[in-house]
Amino acid sequence: MGLFDRVWNAAKSMAVGHAITIREMFHRPVTVRYPEEKPPFERGSRSVPVLKVNEATGLLNCVACGLCERSCPPSCIEIVQAVDAAGKKKPWPETFELDLSHCMVCNLCIEACPFDALEMADVVELSSYQVQDLIFSKDQLTELWKTSKALRVAGGERI
Amino acid sequence: MADDRGAFPQAPARGVRSGAAMAGHPGTGSAPEPVLDGDAPPEDVGRRLMTVNVGPQHPSTHGVLRLIVTLDGETVVRVVPDIGYLHRNFEKIVEGWAYPGIVPFSDRNDYLSAINNEIAVCLAVERLADIEIPPRASYLRVLFSELQRILSHLLFYGTFGMDLGAFSPFMYAFREREVAYTLMEKATGARMLYGYNRIGGLRNDVGDEWLRELEGFLDYVEGQAWPEYMGLLIDNEIYRARTIGVGRITQEQAIAWGASGPMLRATGIPWDLRKTAPYLCYDRLEFDVPVGKNGDTYDSAMVRMLEIKESIRIIRQVLRALPSGPVLAKVRPTVRTKPGDYYSRVESPRGEVGVFLVSDGGHKPYRLKWRAPSFCHLQMVPLMCEGWKIADMIAAVGSLDVVMGEVDR
Repeated sequence: MGLFDRVWNAAKSMAVGHAITIREMFHRPVTVRYPEEKPPFERGSRSVPVLKVNEATGLLNCVACGLCERSCPPSCIEIVQAVDAAGKKKPWPETFELDLSHCMVCNLCIEACPFDALEMADVVELSSYQVQDLIFSKDQLTELWKTSKALRVAGGERI
Repeated sequence: MADDRGAFPQAPARGVRSGAAMAGHPGTGSAPEPVLDGDAPPEDVGRRLMTVNVGPQHPSTHGVLRLIVTLDGETVVRVVPDIGYLHRNFEKIVEGWAYPGIVPFSDRNDYLSAINNEIAVCLAVERLADIEIPPRASYLRVLFSELQRILSHLLFYGTFGMDLGAFSPFMYAFREREVAYTLMEKATGARMLYGYNRIGGLRNDVGDEWLRELEGFLDYVEGQAWPEYMGLLIDNEIYRARTIGVGRITQEQAIAWGASGPMLRATGIPWDLRKTAPYLCYDRLEFDVPVGKNGDTYDSAMVRMLEIKESIRIIRQVLRALPSGPVLAKVRPTVRTKPGDYYSRVESPRGEVGVFLVSDGGHKPYRLKWRAPSFCHLQMVPLMCEGWKIADMIAAVGSLDVVMGEVDR
């Protein structure tokens, strides 16, 4: 390729490139200014497993069976079952702790749960300066369920 | 030892570091010494060489890759890739995990093609556990893995342009990636690390509305975005001058170093696991395997750009042939495999992702070996870069499309 061809090609590719960028200038921007305006989450978007409250009774659906605890690959769920004064086991969790610093949001706990007690919430702004703050207690997870849009997707259904 | 280095009378003994690292360091109390590498081989002595660290925190090294580059002026004399900054001990950790948990964890290996990693694990486990996946799941897996290939190649296009100093293509690539990621989020619930595949199929089905949306996206990419990509970067004369002939590898070298995927096809070898060892329903689909000619960075980028078109073609066929039915086979909660081993391999956007699974009959793998294409490609960096200028080294490393999460595992 001679010098003339190269100069011609360079000029041509510059013209083509500028034509594309100039055309794009008249389009609406596709970006959003994040902290001020937030893009919406899609339905079923998942970021943290939360504890579902039964609408009728106001109690947790969780019966502390521990299936989610066992299905969790990085073992970030810790459940202690409630016991009464006589030492008899009760069907609700005394503590339900979720270590969000380990959680990889894989949805396996929700698929393991036979009691519809867990759902995936779509809250993402949960960052913290202290790693201890990422251990969510039972009350915090219930609060997150109440304040966010949570959904259970499992078992091959249509979304 | 120091005596046979005539050029530098003060040269330290071999193996003793001196020079830039310690010079002027508070507490040493010594004057700056001449810059010298204590480990320098004899042929370097007397040349005015300089050792530069490119990375691990450097915008042009694609993650935490550290390149220890020895320079003679602007020419690369030696380059040593240093890996391991992103090591997460994947292979050992999964020996203690039940099979369903390995699938979402494998997303983190090659985080730009998470679906392909999941498929590799699922294929191995399903083979050893004798699980037949439903036909719809097979087609949808192909659909998602091709959508993932488009996404990954778009990122390659953007970052490769940025490596060569062209910033605009990056923005254009991310414009389409945003649309595709939203599609992925609608279907899988996550934007990057999907956790979508399950042993025995997929977590959830997709609706018809989603499929129509996907078709619109494909039309947009093929009709409008792809020609823009070509005009902005690939056909540009500056880009061509920067890439043609740079970082060239021959067919023999590519095979000898275990290259796969676009790096191998750029040298002209039509080796694509979707054709040569079909998995899922690839044998029922019609597509071409784009190959290059010279094995340089231009060819490997061009192969990827053409693969975007082929992926669109595959997805269109899948959309036409998509059978109805369930997407998840009936699988027991605790998946147990029969004793034995199986090597499953899939064609990820970077090359051959292989999972060698050894089972002793339990619900956990006895051993799981992950074959990462980027790991093999990264070994070719010295081959491709030595003798070229430092700017060409950035182009060559960029054309490898390495993902450090996969290299370090």
